[in-house]
Amino acid sequence: MHKYVIRRLLLFIPSLVGASLLIFLLLRVVPGDIAEILVYQTGSESSAVQEKQIRQIRAELGLDQPVAIQYLSWLGGVVRGDFGYSYTQRRPVTEILRERFPRSMELAFLTIVVALLWAVPLGVISAVRQNTWADYLVRVVSISGLSLPIFFTGVLILYLLVRMFRWMPPLEFVAFVDDPVENLKQLVWPTLAQAYYISAPIMRLTRSQMLEVVRQDYVRTARAKGLAERAVVYHHALSNSLLPVVTFIGWWGGRLLGGIVIMEIIFAIPGMGTALVQAVSYRDYPTVQALIFVMALVFLILNLVVDLLYAWLDPRIRYA
Amino acid sequence: MPDLADGLTVRAPGIADAGSWRQAPARHLLARLRWFVARQPLGAIGAVIIVLLIATAVFAPQLAPHGAKDAAFAPYLPPSAEFPMGTDHLGRDMLSRVIWGARLSLYVGLVSVLLGITLGGLWGVITAYFGGLADSVSQRIVDSVMALPPIILALSLMAALGQSVDNVIVALAILLGPTAARTLRSVVLSLKETPFVEAARAAGGSQWRVIFRHVLPNTFATYIVLATVNIAYAIVVEAALSFLGLGAPPDEPSWGGMLTSGVQALETAPWMIFFPGAAISLTVFGLNLLGDAIRDLTDPRLRGGLG
Repeated sequence: MHKYVIRRLLLFIPSLVGASLLIFLLLRVVPGDIAEILVYQTGSESSAVQEKQIRQIRAELGLDQPVAIQYLSWLGGVVRGDFGYSYTQRRPVTEILRERFPRSMELAFLTIVVALLWAVPLGVISAVRQNTWADYLVRVVSISGLSLPIFFTGVLILYLLVRMFRWMPPLEFVAFVDDPVENLKQLVWPTLAQAYYISAPIMRLTRSQMLEVVRQDYVRTARAKGLAERAVVYHHALSNSLLPVVTFIGWWGGRLLGGIVIMEIIFAIPGMGTALVQAVSYRDYPTVQALIFVMALVFLILNLVVDLLYAWLDPRIRYA
Repeated sequence: MPDLADGLTVRAPGIADAGSWRQAPARHLLARLRWFVARQPLGAIGAVIIVLLIATAVFAPQLAPHGAKDAAFAPYLPPSAEFPMGTDHLGRDMLSRVIWGARLSLYVGLVSVLLGITLGGLWGVITAYFGGLADSVSQRIVDSVMALPPIILALSLMAALGQSVDNVIVALAILLGPTAARTLRSVVLSLKETPFVEAARAAGGSQWRVIFRHVLPNTFATYIVLATVNIAYAIVVEAALSFLGLGAPPDEPSWGGMLTSGVQALETAPWMIFFPGAAISLTVFGLNLLGDAIRDLTDPRLRGGLG
């Protein structure tokens, strides 16, 4: 196990560095750097003055340095928790992250929990009662969930809320620590919308895994020795069926984060996603860079945790 | 009913199914079609939806009563005989925009998948065949791209490239390329060790000849599966980007973009969200059904996925 953990941890670092390098280079190939954008957007001076301003800003931001140096100094800042300065919001990017990060993570966490809480039992029921009306119902629900794109589900829910409850987007976000009830009230709809989307494949996966596992010899043995059906299903069959579900969450982590962005936009939640979309449209590159970096970090950590969890649950992996 | 739901579940792999694609009666197109419908009824439904979609896209100029960008009518007209899907906030005919949207979606989906999967796949085939440093470096690049959540990567690419339909295609191709490279790499790694490739090498075939004559044709089944599964994905991501206001420019008839303008007028003009949303959902539904069927028929080993 130790060896596996170390190997997996060592794999994490190059991926993160690679991803950060990729983000960095991506935003450097843009025609027109931040200095030009800043000066041309606001300035009304003659072109000579503007030239001078651009050079000045470039020197201030270190944009006149070679790209390699720029990258290293950015990385150095990141290690110390300094992500640069947002010109559109006029405050350090770290401050934006500190404000937005917990909100998005809360939404992501709630989504996973809610999705698992209803998708796994429904998947089990669907498998245990294979080819009954309950099975068909679950399968129809999951097929429809897979075909409705997440932004459409979100918009439909928004429509129903507006239509039936005169719902209005919250003017100010309430943190969980300040007022848990109000906080959950704000997050319940985006959570449900995305949980519905994510639960569809979880249901299908749980169902197909259960169907495979209940036909295995050890399950027959468990039945043969006279265990109650409940014990066989929930203890013997389910625990082995859930292994792929664990991997799945890591695998879909990327879509989960993408979905968070969309949910935040639809339900007006000021999290990292809304900040990202805003920063992209204002071409606020330090903020874009920082937000994408943090999201990639979350994604990689999620995959790391899932891999380790999987190795812990399934001895075949760590000895392979 | 059992038949109806069957094609969508991940079934336990049956050995008897392997290679059944080849066993299809080859003589008559009609017989082949009948065989496909009997074998994959859900896939057939998907195929019908997709054929209709393609027809809509191809004949958009004949089908659409108005141009996609004609803003010549009163805004927010509810659905009526004259405007079956109503009009939008700029007084454009929604029906026409949804029809032209089929063309845009399909164009973006097809071109980006062809570009991304073909180039990424070739990249994977070549680096896997030669192995060594090129392969390791390429694997690290693929790792880095895949370390970024897809929509987030697409968003940052759009930030770098600027907003246009062509740039959405480029962003999607970059998004899809690494997956194709990785998948085809694994196929080639095992193909490389097979006796017939060895024989081709032993017979004195040049490296490139071996790659293009012997290795590449054998990756075709995987390529087709990758392409069909990813077209639906590309269409959804395009719609999502446009929905976020960072994909196709707002005047382009993108279903995702139409949804966004619909959200602004949710109470007064709900038809602005229903029709484009239904169009995307139907398309994704059809492509998923068809993709599942093709995957089932071509390669039982690939069934483990969740498409």
